[in-house]
Amino acid sequence: MKVREIMTKDLTAVEKDIPVRELIFILNNAEMPNVPVVDEEGRLSGFISEKDLIRAALPGYFEMLHSTSFIPDMNQLAKKLAQIADEPIERFVRTTVLSVTLDDDDLQAADLIIRKGVKNLPVVDEDGRLVGRVRRIDLLRHLL
Amino acid sequence: MIVTMTLNPAVDKMYWVEGLKVCDTTQEEFLTRASRSTTAAGGKGVNISVFLSRMGMESVAMGLVGGHTGHVVVRDLRDEGVTTNFVWTHGETRVNVTLLQEGREHIPNLINESGQTIRPEEIDRLLRRYKRMLNRASWVVLGGSIPPGVDIGVYGEMARMAKDAGAKVILSTGGEALTHALGACPYIVKPDTREHMTLEGKGLHTVETIVEAGKHVIACGAEIVIISHDVTGDIAITRDDVWEIKASTPTTKLKNLVGADDVFLGGILYKLAQAAPVEDALVFGLAAGLASAESDEKICRDMDVIMDEMKDITVERL
Repeated sequence: MKVREIMTKDLTAVEKDIPVRELIFILNNAEMPNVPVVDEEGRLSGFISEKDLIRAALPGYFEMLHSTSFIPDMNQLAKKLAQIADEPIERFVRTTVLSVTLDDDDLQAADLIIRKGVKNLPVVDEDGRLVGRVRRIDLLRHLL
Repeated sequence: MIVTMTLNPAVDKMYWVEGLKVCDTTQEEFLTRASRSTTAAGGKGVNISVFLSRMGMESVAMGLVGGHTGHVVVRDLRDEGVTTNFVWTHGETRVNVTLLQEGREHIPNLINESGQTIRPEEIDRLLRRYKRMLNRASWVVLGGSIPPGVDIGVYGEMARMAKDAGAKVILSTGGEALTHALGACPYIVKPDTREHMTLEGKGLHTVETIVEAGKHVIACGAEIVIISHDVTGDIAITRDDVWEIKASTPTTKLKNLVGADDVFLGGILYKLAQAAPVEDALVFGLAAGLASAESDEKICRDMDVIMDEMKDITVERL
């Protein structure tokens, strides 16, 4: 089966100049764990997730730790998040983006999702413009 | 690509009842049980996108949605195979209720909410996303009411943006919103006359007044103006012609008028997008609208039924 037959046809995306606060609003209301970043032509240029925001709001040494018990309290996280809330998301966007095309096989999408441990993949057309996304649940739904 | 814009979408809740009473005293039976009910995404652009999808034609539905009911709208559209591109708001998408009395379905009772109040940053976000979509659009449908908080001139602005991007605009709204947008010269204008049978303040009660009002809109720059004459008939005015499209269907056969007018417009767009002549598009549109109105389901999905309806439609040059 082709990606075009199983994908969720939704174009929810953000531009890299929107503030962190707006991104959190969109992720929360659209109930998406991550969102593609597009340019003014609608071409996929990046990707940003809840995880990227948490990472951005945590102290720099956090990546080296194996437990959150080293964080003294949530205030520290809240304070850092408040500091970046009005900053454009550009600094936190991942520009190396995994994606699939409309005519890729479902197996290719499944392979990427499993190997890279992502929840969904943006789908692009031949011009690199966003046309939807394949979620893990889309694959499961169509396999059953 | 076809883009439909619904600034004020809705969850259309329909109830079929045996009878409906408004109680005057506490002693009266105040419970009305619905014999049937349906829930579906609604709003002009939304209905047109659903119809096009059922006919196998791709479109992108855009607009403003919020809250739990916003998710109902988006979910329903996705289930219908429509591509969605909505901006999320702080409010809650409205619910429109239709009460249909069994056996008298051709006279529906509608309760429409005015819709959530939109914040300036929400409409700005939508305009930015809309501009991005116009890069791929050949047709744009701007339809329905304008929610509180949004400038009445928004359809005019959107129509200008679409024209600048090379897309043809279909505008279907009423009252002041329509008057403000006419200056942007949409390709097709379909006034929503459900609340007021007027266009730019002028009455639309006779064929003569309809033609006169339509010609005025054509002089403003539109290419086609379509005005409902009655439930089963419309008048279309173009630069060169005036057409009357009529169906012989008795109104008592109509079971569900909600969304039928949007399907009419969707049918016209379906044909024009395939470069069909205007008169063919008008006949197909009316047939699709009637096929929807004659079934319990809000939007017709059966091409054979539409083709059958076309046999009862006449189109005449006035």
